Amino acid sequence: MSLEQEADALQTPPRLFLPRRRQLLIGRRGLVASTLSTLLVLGGLVAVFYLAPGGASVRFFFFNPHHMWHSFIGDPRQGLSSVGRGLIVNIWIFLVCEVLVLFFGLIIAWTRMSQSPVLLPFRILSTTYTDVFRGIPILLVFFLVGDGLPALQLGFLSNQSPAVYGCMSLTITYSAYVAEVYRAGINSVPHGQTLAARSLGLTHYATMRRVILPQAVRTVIPPLLNDFISLQKDTALLSIFGAIEAVRAAGIYASTEFNFSGYVVAALLFLILTIPMTRYTDHLIARDRSLRLAAA
Amino acid sequence: METVLELNAVVKRFGDNEVLRGVSLSLHRHEVVCLIGASGSGKSTLLRCANLLETVDEGSISLFGQSLLSPHIDPDLVRRHIGMVFQSFNLFPHLSVLENILIGPLHALKRDGDEVREEALALLERIGLRDRADDFPDRLSGGQQQRVAIVRALAMRPSLLLLDEVTSALDPTLVGEVLDLLRDLARSGTTMLIATHEMNFARDVAHQVAYLDHGVLVEQGTPEQIFVSPRHEATRTFLDRVR
Amino acid sequence: MRNLRIALAGLVGVSTIGVATLSSGLAANASSYSLATCKTTIAAQEYAKGKLTVATDNPVYTPWFVNNKPTNGKGYESALVYAIAKTLGVSTSNVNWVTEPFDSSYTPGTKKFDFDINEISYTAARAMVVTFSNSYYDVQQSIVALKTNRIVKHHTRADLKTYQYGDQIGTTGLSFINSFIKPTKAARVYSTLDQAVAQLQNGRIDALVIDTPTGQYMASAQITDKNKKLIATQVGQFPSVGEHYGLLFQKNSPLAGCVNVALAALKTDGTLTKLQNKWLNIYTSVPVIKP
Repeated sequence: MSLEQEADALQTPPRLFLPRRRQLLIGRRGLVASTLSTLLVLGGLVAVFYLAPGGASVRFFFFNPHHMWHSFIGDPRQGLSSVGRGLIVNIWIFLVCEVLVLFFGLIIAWTRMSQSPVLLPFRILSTTYTDVFRGIPILLVFFLVGDGLPALQLGFLSNQSPAVYGCMSLTITYSAYVAEVYRAGINSVPHGQTLAARSLGLTHYATMRRVILPQAVRTVIPPLLNDFISLQKDTALLSIFGAIEAVRAAGIYASTEFNFSGYVVAALLFLILTIPMTRYTDHLIARDRSLRLAAA
Repeated sequence: METVLELNAVVKRFGDNEVLRGVSLSLHRHEVVCLIGASGSGKSTLLRCANLLETVDEGSISLFGQSLLSPHIDPDLVRRHIGMVFQSFNLFPHLSVLENILIGPLHALKRDGDEVREEALALLERIGLRDRADDFPDRLSGGQQQRVAIVRALAMRPSLLLLDEVTSALDPTLVGEVLDLLRDLARSGTTMLIATHEMNFARDVAHQVAYLDHGVLVEQGTPEQIFVSPRHEATRTFLDRVR
Repeated sequence: MRNLRIALAGLVGVSTIGVATLSSGLAANASSYSLATCKTTIAAQEYAKGKLTVATDNPVYTPWFVNNKPTNGKGYESALVYAIAKTLGVSTSNVNWVTEPFDSSYTPGTKKFDFDINEISYTAARAMVVTFSNSYYDVQQSIVALKTNRIVKHHTRADLKTYQYGDQIGTTGLSFINSFIKPTKAARVYSTLDQAVAQLQNGRIDALVIDTPTGQYMASAQITDKNKKLIATQVGQFPSVGEHYGLLFQKNSPLAGCVNVALAALKTDGTLTKLQNKWLNIYTSVPVIKP
């Protein structure tokens, strides 16, 4: 190419358009495309559900409206526990444990991060505690507490209801998780904040309470909510001790009527509980992200 | 003049790294001392040692003649008499401007709320930020934030202020307002130990200038002595480089 | 023990109906098949051709099985399976045992066995999704408790309501507690019978309700303290409510007809009674209490 030709080529405006295929995804046509793809995916899933060789039997065994309703309300005359009533057990166990876990988690995290030489044994203890209980399958904690404590014959401690042992097991495990969440939150506050607070003559305690914890809380809330979502689900483990919560009620229904629709009901009820929490957590995370982007 | 702060042969090590190698320095009432020296020469560490944010390995530090390294000293009480301002402001982002200023007097000194509030607002008035009292720090410019941080330290009514390169993190256009405030404080007799890279400012304001090189206090004197006729080759080289 | 809700239609006089179901059911099915035909058709109907695949849980309990070994022909259910096989012309070596937990025995989909024998109670609701054979054992429920428990001496209808019961999920015992005893404290429901027994042993529950043979075995051999001393007792058994155990088949399994023919034959020639006397008799002489 001669120099002249090159100069000419430069004068032709460069192509800046998207390829035609991708232009179909712009603006209102993009909306159409997203609607279509949604319908296609959902439709495909529904089709699989309806056309699979065992589809009809799955619908009968898992999604049977009669059995779903029947298991939801239960029938004491037939020894059928209500899945709906069972869920109330899950909910209040969750609420009690949530408060306990927040409290003990903070104590453990605080101990672990303390600097006083007097607290050294507790520091070692709380470090061991978080290591141990984050590592043991929660099911085993349930067995150890629920079968171990009664066997010890320690009077009051050995004579509690399944709900109490369930709460203890959940609190023991989740306090370890939550302590680590707190610790991460506290560590996420820049060291300069501590320096500034201490240079004002604030004590270690006042620095924590007035400066570090209030800032740690903001970073801590999303992971904390995540832990609470799984705490909520793990309340189902209470059935190990014979307590009749939603999943166990559904199990009783299944083994009595040979129909699994009660499990689907329990799943739906858990979703109704956890979805608002998961959505809220995502919202907080998104808000925190945009705040940080705005600050940067 | 009464001696406020006295450092005597202070040695500070981080592991094998000797950051301060026997620094001696004294600061009298109403006196402004500027610490100059390259980054990493130990200026910040010196300031932190002075209010016990860092432990000292050798030597002694005393405040109004009382040794701060005695085991019977309560570091929290010491720090209530020594204000400190940081390069990166370190305002508390979850507290409003006013609350940032109040936190020390209220929760360290346990003073009466109304009285402290009046004082804090008066201080804000003095730096022209009274109308920003309820804003959060992230709404303020860097210069404004640093002035609030200085006022936060002043609200403790400290016997002396330690200032650690307080303009280094600022946009050049905002440096002036902070330095003006410091000049103002110097004129009204505030005792200050200032680590700084602003040579003109040091020349204007300081009663004494000390040059720190790799943890050694090479030379100390009036601004004329240091800037016009430094006795040491190292000081001269440093000043040539920064001019 | 693995049973369910008793067919609840009218509780009065059910005991007589129960017996009636057993005999009339066998008669009805037997008419459409003959033993001779069955011996020739069975091979084609088996899940694994040439083998009779029989499922049960693991572990299994005395007196239904012995030493947790279904293959040894000992215990009522094991012995019965081999008797059925023999009647249908299947050799002992062609009986193939597989493990099937109760909870998965009734899941939808193709079952990987010819039938499941696991003390599963017939109920109308269950019979809608699986096929049951006719009765191979008419069962009654009994109470097992620690010898030291108050229930041993105090079990009037009103007393029975005051105890803390516990049972395995899906058992007739559990339905029995809820529908007949109606206790004031909700019964605890465990995933396995072992867990329920453990809770009884450490006094977390007052009593469990279980079929009489299993309950008698628990009291006479299974539940001991750390010195191997027997600490439980069978308080008594309840009158029959017409419950019976059946073999569980894939819904509409063609094999069920022939197995029923075999059961009928075993009943006619007295084998069924003989096996029950041999394996269950010592466990069934228990006083009757009225809930």
